[in-house]
Amino acid sequence: MTNGEHRNAIPNDPMHGAAGARNGHGAEARSDRRATRVTIQHRRSLRLWLTTWSTVLGLALVLPTTAMAQTEITFWYAWGGSEGQALQALVDEYNQGQSEVQVRSSFVPIGDGERILATLAGGAPPDLITVWDWMVVPLGASGALTALDEPLAAAGVTEADYLPGIWTYGSYQGVKYGLPTTLNVYGFMWNKDVFAEAGLDPEAPPRTIAELDAIAEQLTVTDARGNLRRLGFFPNVSSIYFYAFGGQLYDPETLEVTIDHPGNVAAMEWLARYYETYDINKIRRFQAGWGDLASPYNPFYRGQLAMQEGGQWEVAFTRQYAPDLNWGVTTFPAPEGGRPDVAPVQGSFWVVPARATNQDGALDFLTWLTAPEQSARFAAALANIPPRQAALDMPVYRETITPELQTYIDMLLTGYVYTPPPLPVGLYLSEQLNQALAAVQDGTASPREALETAQRNVLRELEKYR
Amino acid sequence: MARGPATAPGTRPKMSAKQRRELWLGLAFVSPWLIGFVVFTLYPVVASFYFSFTDYNVVSAPRWVGLRNYVDLWNDPLFAKSLYNTLYLAAIGIPVSLFLSLVIAMLLNRKMRFQGVFRTIYFLPSVVPAVAVALLWRWFLNPDFGPVNQMLEAVGIAGPGWLADPTWSKPALVLTGLWGVGGSMVIYLAGLQNVPVQLYEAADLDGASAWQRLRYVTLPMLSPVILFNLIMGIITSFQAFTNIYVMTGGGPSNSTLVYALYLYQNAFQFFRMGFASAMAWVLMVITAGALVLIFRTSGWVYYEGRS
Repeated sequence: MTNGEHRNAIPNDPMHGAAGARNGHGAEARSDRRATRVTIQHRRSLRLWLTTWSTVLGLALVLPTTAMAQTEITFWYAWGGSEGQALQALVDEYNQGQSEVQVRSSFVPIGDGERILATLAGGAPPDLITVWDWMVVPLGASGALTALDEPLAAAGVTEADYLPGIWTYGSYQGVKYGLPTTLNVYGFMWNKDVFAEAGLDPEAPPRTIAELDAIAEQLTVTDARGNLRRLGFFPNVSSIYFYAFGGQLYDPETLEVTIDHPGNVAAMEWLARYYETYDINKIRRFQAGWGDLASPYNPFYRGQLAMQEGGQWEVAFTRQYAPDLNWGVTTFPAPEGGRPDVAPVQGSFWVVPARATNQDGALDFLTWLTAPEQSARFAAALANIPPRQAALDMPVYRETITPELQTYIDMLLTGYVYTPPPLPVGLYLSEQLNQALAAVQDGTASPREALETAQRNVLRELEKYR
Repeated sequence: MARGPATAPGTRPKMSAKQRRELWLGLAFVSPWLIGFVVFTLYPVVASFYFSFTDYNVVSAPRWVGLRNYVDLWNDPLFAKSLYNTLYLAAIGIPVSLFLSLVIAMLLNRKMRFQGVFRTIYFLPSVVPAVAVALLWRWFLNPDFGPVNQMLEAVGIAGPGWLADPTWSKPALVLTGLWGVGGSMVIYLAGLQNVPVQLYEAADLDGASAWQRLRYVTLPMLSPVILFNLIMGIITSFQAFTNIYVMTGGGPSNSTLVYALYLYQNAFQFFRMGFASAMAWVLMVITAGALVLIFRTSGWVYYEGRS
């Protein structure tokens, strides 16, 4: 604002205009007095301004301290609806069971990494948060998470308490950065009605890749225009076949990246034949018409897809969305000399940020929350699998077990368990696999070339962490 | 401000105590915005320039790598692909929507019954949230059940896979982009109403045809508005993200992987904030370059009252 504007504003000012006129004698004097008044008004405004800002700043400084004084921990969980309620019930029970630590929980969806990165980079993250499995090692290796090895040892929790192959899930270079909330495991599902309709034995799912190919072809239906009406099978999670063909994405001993493993190349060649046989663009077109997976319009429930990869959540999903569906689940078909017992595991994790203000409280709550009893109750509510053996044996969990769920559990207990590679590059690796698939689908690279490119890119990205 | 005693050359004009106080007071009153701008806009912009020369995953300290991110960009086929997709969408989408919104605006500028109703109808889509529109279009363009292909089928055309087909996905996105022409239409309408009536009257007296009135009166008078819409079109289409993130997520086969989407993936899914920052600065340079080019070649724009 300029001087002129201030001057003009004064006579119209309801607070000061009248006073100015009353005291005014001549034009000269009035102008002087106005100037004084302007100054006085400025001082008042300045004081008002200072008061407002100092109040705001003061509150901002005081609020977090008062929160700390109450031995409260903040906890972000990522489940809404009935799953969130089940977790909240556990939180309430913990809060009522003791008075030292009070958990203040809130539902914060994980989404992509934005929110997690923002809260971890900021000064005061929550004391306990839920993240996807692929975030654990990148965040841990960057020093953003608290190592859990000592607290777990102090609480007497050991590798033997967890299911085989799960203890190292969420660890990097021997340091444990998180605990799995529950486990998701994929199995091979088939629609028994579609099998029977096509004259196949509904109790005989394919056991080898050759059988899978033959049955898939037999169950695929196209209309007069050549558009797909039913797809026998679509290999969606490509890494399953890398492992089924004897390959691996990384060496679990040395943590070396092995994307161009001969087994992976063989699997990729099989995938490429699949895209060619059924025409990837026809498949994409057909898929565009598929409904939401968590709905009665799920393509598997509607018979648009006769065989699929599906996790143990399908036990609950089918009960809700397709109660009449006649389906079975078993281990994945494998080629001769491959791995017939692949158990792909995914999930989310509890992690304690390194900058959390109340780590002890968070660790105490976490120990309680992941104890067998609580773990079993939470997994039962989510229709997932608890990561601990003792939780599996709890009656509260056992009563939820159906024959299908038992198949998934058996796969976990006796199968070849693999998890997303515990490398600091996170999703970059799976994106490189997607790019390799895209290149093979477009025919711009051979399966071997595509995987070699992915291997090179991931190694280059990993150099940043050496 | 500059009023005051004359000063010797080279020295700044002296402010009176009062003027200084007013300056401080003025700054104090705008300080909420100033602080907000510095903290939430200026600092991130400057910081991203620094981060573009580092390896930075947000949670650990940035490490200086010089020009490596820029070299990586140059060698990254997906960077080139995403830039190509973005330029493709801009090169087709902007002219089509500029033209279409101008035509609609001129039609709606005619005196007719229910003029207000029609204007509302054409503007209404621009008010619908982007995510809702994206989901809606995904079903409009559904290859088997979508109304678009069903209409095509009614006239005997087997519709393409649209968003599910790498060949058709970008044209499909241009098509969905036309949903939002209402925004620039309204700006054109305002421009059209500012064209002085006497110019048309003079043209009529001279016996100008409808085409000549459009060519020699309407378009020149409207050219600053066209320039404005063109610039806004370039800026928004270079930053296209939401609708594509929802509709295709960049697929199939990277055919709709646009620049902002790839930048987002690098920043928040791959934790490559340094690389993403470099991408942001390259986009800034490209956008600035495009705008300079537009201004340099804007001889066709007529500003009334300027020779």
